[in-house]
Amino acid sequence: MSSSKRIAKELSDLERDPPTSCSAGPVGDDLYHWQASIMGPADSPYAGGVFFLSIHFPTDYPFKPPKISFTTKIYHPNINANGNICLDILKDQWSPALTLSKVLLSICSLLTDANPDDPLVPEIAHIYKTDRSKYEATAREWTKKYAV
Amino acid sequence: MSSGGEEDHLYTFDEIDSDSIELYESQNTSEFTIHGLVTPKLTTVISQGSEFDINEDEDGVDTIYEGMLDTPITKSSKRVLCEGSVPNLNYECLTTKGIFERILQRVDHLQPIFAIPSADILILLQHYDWNEERLLEEWTEKMDDLLVELGLSTAASVKEDKDYSLHTRKVEFKDDFACVICCESKNTETFALECGHEYCINCYRHYIQDKLHEGNIITCMDCSLALKNVDIDKVMGHASSSKLMDSSIKSFVQKHNRNYKWCPFADCKSIIHLRDTSSLPEYTRLHYSPFVKCNSSHRFCFNCGFEVHAPADCKITSAWVKKARKESENLNWVLSHTKECPKCSVNIEKNGGCNHMVCSSCKYEFCWICEGPWAPHGKNFFQCTMYKNVEDSKSKSSEDVNKTLKKYTFYYRLFNEHEVSAKLDWNLGQTVGTKVHALQERIGISWIDGQFLSESLKVLNEGRTALKWSFAVAFYSDASHNLTKIFVDNQMLLANAVEFLSELLQIKNPEVIMKRKPEFYNKAGYVENRTTALMECGRELLCKGICKVME
Repeated sequence: MSSSKRIAKELSDLERDPPTSCSAGPVGDDLYHWQASIMGPADSPYAGGVFFLSIHFPTDYPFKPPKISFTTKIYHPNINANGNICLDILKDQWSPALTLSKVLLSICSLLTDANPDDPLVPEIAHIYKTDRSKYEATAREWTKKYAV
Repeated sequence: MSSGGEEDHLYTFDEIDSDSIELYESQNTSEFTIHGLVTPKLTTVISQGSEFDINEDEDGVDTIYEGMLDTPITKSSKRVLCEGSVPNLNYECLTTKGIFERILQRVDHLQPIFAIPSADILILLQHYDWNEERLLEEWTEKMDDLLVELGLSTAASVKEDKDYSLHTRKVEFKDDFACVICCESKNTETFALECGHEYCINCYRHYIQDKLHEGNIITCMDCSLALKNVDIDKVMGHASSSKLMDSSIKSFVQKHNRNYKWCPFADCKSIIHLRDTSSLPEYTRLHYSPFVKCNSSHRFCFNCGFEVHAPADCKITSAWVKKARKESENLNWVLSHTKECPKCSVNIEKNGGCNHMVCSSCKYEFCWICEGPWAPHGKNFFQCTMYKNVEDSKSKSSEDVNKTLKKYTFYYRLFNEHEVSAKLDWNLGQTVGTKVHALQERIGISWIDGQFLSESLKVLNEGRTALKWSFAVAFYSDASHNLTKIFVDNQMLLANAVEFLSELLQIKNPEVIMKRKPEFYNKAGYVENRTTALMECGRELLCKGICKVME
């Protein structure tokens, strides 16, 4: 399968030149099931936390996007209680030229800059827009509680 | 748009339009008429019992003549039952291919304005959902910026020669090419746009194949530069861009469902384009339905997408269908889980094991199995497992709900029966074709002479459909009103007429068929007239508000 070659290539690239704020690799022997971790960006209320994600590559990867979800609880307008992420490049804006490391970086920047206009959790988005400090306090609290 | 509800009600049939209405729908349905069919024979058909016919006096008052209908109503003498006529629908039947050809014509037309290659205009139009006006607006505003935005040119090349793409965009063969998508190195064909993002042909094909059904502009995998239709065909090795255009037009039709409707019949790919929707409110106001017919002769309502449902209007139809969906579940449940109290007819659900029932409503004690009184059951219980005749003369229920349910079940059964019959008629239609063939072969009549059979069948179908939907109208009508009674009589007349015609169409012997040809004409003409009469009567019920959906 060509997808395994591509995934193997991405894995060796990640090992050779790991990104600063995140890491990723297969769980056990299954090349199609990975786990990743993201450090909470310093300029965000998630700073100091380490967030784990579960990654499943479809068999027709890279023509279809990988399925990524947070396994660590996080308070964010675009991430719901099940850890599902609302990010365009994981859906219709996916392109085969994207790589997992690019996607992880996008998720990092989503943590810094949420997109409250296209929310997955409307309640959090509302607070984000109307009472930013309250949002930040809650996000910090959750980070301390679940991600440290 | 009509100005408001108030005025609508003023427009009743007190004022009589001198042009009598003979259309219950648009012009497109009446290409078939049976002429000169008036024979006295018909009286034998319809003068059984006390039928009614509605004739209209000169002053526009409906009068009822009992038991008379010497001549069937011909087109010219059709009565005005309810005031108002609607403009004919101006529509056309298209296919996605037809729409695309039209778009190409528009592109040619626009080419001098844009002064860019036609293929680029096509992509621009595609991006703007084939909306020319919006495109022109944005074009005058942005010009070259728009081209960059939509990936039709790279920012740097805007000022340069615009034909460059034709030279550089081609499939090339390369030795030991390392593709970053599949991560394989091999001797392969590759493709790249001016951006230089080059991938092996297999990956490119896989990528495009996935995108074809989305109908959006396909871009380079790594940047926003767009692939034109020629590029797509080049990469795929065959004409695949038509599939992309097809999906794009499909999404266009879905987005413009005010003017465009898919034919709802299975496997029919026709699209009806209503050129002018301004008459639709008028149709609604007068309780007509905008029935259209696609090129495959499928007739449906442009408004609600249902089959031809006259005399019911769209509101009655949707209420009826919704009710049918809901009630069928309810009915099933009620019928399988409950029994009526033999005394007061209230529906009782048995939620325990004991067969000794006490009606919570009237306190009557009875046996669940035989529905007889409980008193004699004490000693010889098993007597009641004997077969019991279901024929029970129940006293009329005091419960309104129950009444409605009964009324509904009654009408729904009739509706269903005619639906089933319509299906059987369809089977009949299959055999009619072979019959016509047999006629031609065995008695040597011409094809055109045999057409009366299929024409009769068509009339039968239309009559059957009208009859079917008339039960929905009857259900929602105020039963105590005189006009409802007339309507019901009309139903009966049509039902009889339909059965007679249906019987005629069952004849298998070609000689007999030819001998009875005038009868076919007679009966078909009669069914046609009765259908029109029923539809008009139904429309009158709707116009007068006697038939309405209770919220």
